[in-house]
Amino acid sequence: MTEATTIDQILKAQRLGFAVFDREHTLLDSNFKYSDFRQASDLARGKVGLWQVFPELIGYEQTIAELLAGARKPLVLEKLNQLDRTDRLQYYNLRVLALAGGTRSPARLLCLAEDVTEQTALEQEARQQRYEVQLLQSQLLNQSQFLSGALLGQSAKIQAVREFVGKVAQYNTSVLLQGESGTGKSLVARLIHRARHEGARPFVEINCAAIPETLLESELFGHEKGAFTNALASKKGLLEEADNGTLFLDEIGELPLSLQAKLLTFLETRRFRRVGSTREQSVDVRVVVATNKDLKKAIAAGEFREDLYYRINVVALTLPPIRELDDDIIQLAEHFISILQIDMKKAVHGLTAEAKRKLLSHSWPGNVRELRNIIERAMIFTTEPRITAAELWLPDTGVQDDQASDALHIPAGGLSLEELEKKYLIASLRQTGGNQSRSAELLAMSLDTFRYRLKKHGISIQAIH
Amino acid sequence: MSAASEAIIYSKKICMLGTFGVGKTSLVRRFVHRLFDDTYLSTIGVQIYKKEIADLNSAKGRPLGVNLVIWDLANIESLTPATRTHFNGASAAIVVFDLTRPETFDLKQIHLRTFLEVNPGAQVIFVGNKTDLMAEGPDEKALVAIAGEYDAHHFLTSAKDGSNVDEMFQALAANVIS
Repeated sequence: MTEATTIDQILKAQRLGFAVFDREHTLLDSNFKYSDFRQASDLARGKVGLWQVFPELIGYEQTIAELLAGARKPLVLEKLNQLDRTDRLQYYNLRVLALAGGTRSPARLLCLAEDVTEQTALEQEARQQRYEVQLLQSQLLNQSQFLSGALLGQSAKIQAVREFVGKVAQYNTSVLLQGESGTGKSLVARLIHRARHEGARPFVEINCAAIPETLLESELFGHEKGAFTNALASKKGLLEEADNGTLFLDEIGELPLSLQAKLLTFLETRRFRRVGSTREQSVDVRVVVATNKDLKKAIAAGEFREDLYYRINVVALTLPPIRELDDDIIQLAEHFISILQIDMKKAVHGLTAEAKRKLLSHSWPGNVRELRNIIERAMIFTTEPRITAAELWLPDTGVQDDQASDALHIPAGGLSLEELEKKYLIASLRQTGGNQSRSAELLAMSLDTFRYRLKKHGISIQAIH
Repeated sequence: MSAASEAIIYSKKICMLGTFGVGKTSLVRRFVHRLFDDTYLSTIGVQIYKKEIADLNSAKGRPLGVNLVIWDLANIESLTPATRTHFNGASAAIVVFDLTRPETFDLKQIHLRTFLEVNPGAQVIFVGNKTDLMAEGPDEKALVAIAGEYDAHHFLTSAKDGSNVDEMFQALAANVIS
């Protein structure tokens, strides 16, 4: 093997490219063919200078002069990167050192570029993941700051809610939140939690209507291995997950009677047993419950335990529907725009005057949830810096403001309220693609009530959807 | 071209400073390649870009230009000997903040003081980026306060829609050769 081939082998194995410059910084020799570092054509055009080959050394003139004078250690620049000929990001370490000259030959400058793309790509991947997590955390933090400003508005009703949150947050007592669907009960529960626990304490939320009765007990209280078929391993329940934090039970009115008794026992003793266990456990949890049901009526109907009602009704708050909040609706809408424009990376800076008027004239049966959805939909489709009235797709609820409802026209032949109700039930199902929960929300009724009325009118979802 | 009218082209090194995700790379890519991609890809090490700005001014009847060599520095949060080496020889720093993330306004994290120790007399420009995401118009207060502290210029930019990006680099170029 010749000496030249040996050097070639070394350069190839190390993915090294080199360039040698004289004292005047003119290129004398180079070999980048194993590193893809610089295009050979760039280096073959007559007299080429150091700064043309290595613009990254601009700013290091003093350092290079010291190197050539033998007055300093080599300069090492790690993990520089550039796009290669195929637009692929290429990482390299650049080492610049002086080759000592003899008595008759002056010192020269050697630049070694080592391709470290493969090693660095792994590091890049790991860092990417870490930074993405940090970015998400940062966005969450900002959202949480948005959360604290979420009870926006100057109306007396909203101020009363803010006051309530501030007061109950100081004590670890149970809280009952009532109000129409979409009035922000979950948000208020979170605010109560956050106002008490600044740190990373758990906030665990469960919708009692969303989980089949057979699973709800093990979801809430956990189970031991073998407690029932498919209980292949022991599992913590949400009560345990919420230890030292808050458990939010939404739609408490839908909790089966059998579990109401078990929940009552827990609220009174702070102790519970996992399904299939004989061992009692205790946790320190604040329980916040919410419902849009009239619990007194549910008690009268035998659907809700009176003793549980009094246990959870230590402090209660009824959240106002947003149609009672007047101009606060606009503030809420703009709050949603400010959150969504960051999530969607879209520059939308508010609402036109006409859009504001349109929002104020709507009856908002779906409350804050409906408002958010309307704004989100408008944000998706808008091409304007401000959302226009035409972009606010408001469903015709048939319920206008008071003045408009006075002007409702009843046909001379009369109308059937039953028939009208049936039409709205069908329309809501069509609008939501057959989603019963969302349909129920649109009509501001509980899922149970919605199902009951479907049955009453003999409406088949399959036939509609 | 006669010697009298031949352009004087300076070469200057510029460092982009700022914590991760503030849009340093996006600003440079917008300026150099006229590109924007909102997929976040963290930078490792130093990405180096070159861009010549011509016809800045004229000196003694000769047009002036500047060849900006822009160092897009990553992982600036951890100050290592390599960071100081990377700062070496820079004529200016562009300090970028994310207007939607107030925590990015922490100068300690980006070691501006160290940068100025390594490069005394270097120019500094402060940039509040991502104006496109600000609903009610950007809040300049924090940016103005920091720029005032360093007696430096400040700009509000959007790498996404390009607003003020060229203006910011042009102003910087004019400053570094003045």
